[in-house]
Amino acid sequence: MAHQAHAYHMVDPSPWPLTGAVAALLLTSGTAIWMHFNSMSLMSLGMILLLLTIYQWWRDIIREGTFQGHHTPPVQKGLRYGMILFITSEVFFFLGFFWAFYHSSLAPTPELGGCWPPTGITTLDPFEVPLLNTAVLLASGVTVTWAHHSIMEGQRKQAIQSLTLTILLGFYFTFLQGMEYYEAPFTIADGVYGSTFFVATGFHGLHVIIGSSFLAVCLLRQVQFHFTSKHHFGFEAAAWYWHFVDVVWLFLYISIYWWGS
Amino acid sequence: MSHEEKLKNYRTAPFDARFPNTNQTRNCYQNYLDYHRCNKALTAKDKDPAPCEWYHRVYKSLCPIAWVQKWDDQLEAGTFPGKI
Repeated sequence: MAHQAHAYHMVDPSPWPLTGAVAALLLTSGTAIWMHFNSMSLMSLGMILLLLTIYQWWRDIIREGTFQGHHTPPVQKGLRYGMILFITSEVFFFLGFFWAFYHSSLAPTPELGGCWPPTGITTLDPFEVPLLNTAVLLASGVTVTWAHHSIMEGQRKQAIQSLTLTILLGFYFTFLQGMEYYEAPFTIADGVYGSTFFVATGFHGLHVIIGSSFLAVCLLRQVQFHFTSKHHFGFEAAAWYWHFVDVVWLFLYISIYWWGS
Repeated sequence: MSHEEKLKNYRTAPFDARFPNTNQTRNCYQNYLDYHRCNKALTAKDKDPAPCEWYHRVYKSLCPIAWVQKWDDQLEAGTFPGKI
């Protein structure tokens, strides 16, 4: 019987990259169709296909790593590089929106009244809900670190408790931010202030939801004994992503909520 | 130089070191604002608004007419976004 003479993972053929690509095409063209021709069919189809791809691709990776042993140390190193590179690309994504914000706010045009915040905009008080949101995310950074140490020390119950608490804090942030969006005295259509505010904080909120989902999957896996004290990269990746989301919020808070008020 | 002499010798807006670059938008806007702020401040104290005429000359030299018309309309309608 032939065995591989190396520690790397030669992945079996899989349909999920193709379904993912098709989903991306349907989502993008579908969104354009929705905006111009009032039909959500293509976009919905793309969304369903994307969710199916996500579920099955990552389920397969868990099977390959946790159940079949393919994630040897060099393979895990590659996964680490991958996650770091991905998060770096997300940093650049947000950098663009910060660039847009500073471009408009550092030299406000006469149309805005030559001032920032622009004339007519009542900003949110940075020391009310936004400050609470900052505390919530910072606390969640502490609880996710507690969860990590619990996993490394083989403390199953504490790992489950701290991970659950982290996810709850994430939900609390999303809930509070949702309320703020509902109650805000300005909308996305209110000039460049509204645009920069809601696009930057909106994408951040989306990343909070993604990060919370990632952590929730880790919780499910922890309950099902997938993680060992020495090997739990899925959790580490989720924790890195969560810290990244927290740091983005800190920059948003300082720049848009505080300085920008 | 008194302001009458300054105005008599006026040809066009002189170099203003506060606005050294090619884009002179802020120069126009600032002088427009300063003219109206000067008028408001001096008439509030019952003083002669003659010194304000300098800003008037500068913004008339620098600003596109369409901008001045738009801002004047906004002032009249009470929708001018700048702080006067």
